[in-house]
Amino acid sequence: MRARTGPRPEWPDGARCVVFLSVDLDGVALERGEGVEPLGINSYGVYAYRCGVPRYLRLFARHGLRVTFFVPGYDGEVAPEVIRAIAGEGHEIAAHGYCHESGYLEGAPERALLQRTHDILAGLTGQPPVGWRNPGGMKSRFTTQYLRALGYLYDSSDKDFEQPYRFEPAGPAPGPMIELPTNSAMLDDGHLNPIAMLAPSQILELWKEEFAATYAGSGYFALILHGRAWWGSGTPSRARVLDELIRYIDAHPGVRYVRGVDLARFCLGSSATATAEARDTWLYREPGGR
Amino acid sequence: MTPPDRWPPGHHCGVAISVDLDGESVDLGRAPRANLWGRFSHGRYGLRVGVYRLLEIFREHAIPATFFVPAWDAEQSPGLVEAILAAGHEIAAHGYVHEDHSRLEEAERDTLERAHRTLLKLTGRAPAGWRAPGGRLSPRTLGYLTDLGYRYDSSFRDDDLPHELECGGGPRILEIPQFPFLTDTLFYEVFRPPADVRRMWLEELEAIYDEGLLYSLKLHPRGDTGSGRALRAAVVEDVCRAVRRRPGTWIATHADIAAWWRSSGEAANRG
Repeated sequence: MRARTGPRPEWPDGARCVVFLSVDLDGVALERGEGVEPLGINSYGVYAYRCGVPRYLRLFARHGLRVTFFVPGYDGEVAPEVIRAIAGEGHEIAAHGYCHESGYLEGAPERALLQRTHDILAGLTGQPPVGWRNPGGMKSRFTTQYLRALGYLYDSSDKDFEQPYRFEPAGPAPGPMIELPTNSAMLDDGHLNPIAMLAPSQILELWKEEFAATYAGSGYFALILHGRAWWGSGTPSRARVLDELIRYIDAHPGVRYVRGVDLARFCLGSSATATAEARDTWLYREPGGR
Repeated sequence: MTPPDRWPPGHHCGVAISVDLDGESVDLGRAPRANLWGRFSHGRYGLRVGVYRLLEIFREHAIPATFFVPAWDAEQSPGLVEAILAAGHEIAAHGYVHEDHSRLEEAERDTLERAHRTLLKLTGRAPAGWRAPGGRLSPRTLGYLTDLGYRYDSSFRDDDLPHELECGGGPRILEIPQFPFLTDTLFYEVFRPPADVRRMWLEELEAIYDEGLLYSLKLHPRGDTGSGRALRAAVVEDVCRAVRRRPGTWIATHADIAAWWRSSGEAANRG
């Protein structure tokens, strides 16, 4: 397959392709944030604590992988032992809202919630989180400024590019941050929820094709998984899809698995990392040129 | 990987097949009783045609099933209740007129009692289990259920296996969970072809069987979003056949699974 994405970025250890697997934990914080009791049809988040996370941990341990879990602060409060178990396996704990707020917060309320989740997660693991992903796909124009001030290295929310890029949020604590972009087509919830309800074998086929295209192209493969049942990949059949996808990826030479923090640190130190300006002018560049 | 005592001796995977007998009670939530015609008559199809088709499949493949029945539907169709019981299936509670229990407030207890008394009268025995209509319950529901002597609930989507749930400090209730990918409704609401549903349910069976967990399949007899029509019932039959073909599946009613889990399974899995 011919790459149509312009210059290939540089990856750690000269790898040809990085694989950034992450799990948005999304326990009961999601329902609590909507004012709903996590009962009956609204209890999918409980599954994340009881079955989804333990199954992910077994699977990642089997493959010797360390990944990133994006965790709402509220989940850290109600299921601290789950978060500690994740961190204990060497996975990264990053932030994902307090109650999975998917609306537009700005100013003091937003800053307070970012700080609150930051403190909860830092208290649980002993390490302040350095990565953040927006819950429900929304963030404000101030979010990254607040995150930068809290010492975050990266954000993984935007869908506006297909490789990591460096940007400098304005505000009181200027300095470089890395965006690790994602895409809705690489979220397990889109394929599993009632919009599509694909069978596990169909999802596997799709993800293999996605990987092959990315491997031939930008070399930045970012897959977002979820902890809860139904639209997550922590159930028996979907964990098997993930297991087989990892085997498929492993059959490709030059693949390097990264946690968000690893990739962000590398990109901050690499002169080949795209800049926000490069992102904005990308379409006007000649393919193959840097 | 499966703990040896998770399921009864000789079995390594549980199978619970249930039918939510949502007849006209569901349509009554959308139109007045005098207007249950046209598109508000899918529930009646389920009671007249769909459920008998499912009963026939269960008989041929020796499947003991659990029927969650809105009590009002049971009152309208006493012959159907008799047919279900005569075939050896379990009848469990599912609201009086398929109410949303998260919104009943102070009427909730009376509604649960009314449905309970109605099923007791029609079947001659107290229902052992309850499933929330629409999956919606209030923080008080489980406590009311244990007060009434219910031994299990089957409304949550929270685990791969049965497990005990807290009921506000009172006695615990056993939960037998279920998931939308093992339910007909969401597929047929968007007119997915039955072949897609078969593929999903068989792949789920394979993965759940391999881990020795609980395959909890939830069906409806309705003509719109249920499995009562011939082509859709054929999917159910294929799945029943696949379940029977796999060695070591324990196909049981929810009440039997709850009794087993209380006596042995819970201890084995805590072990």
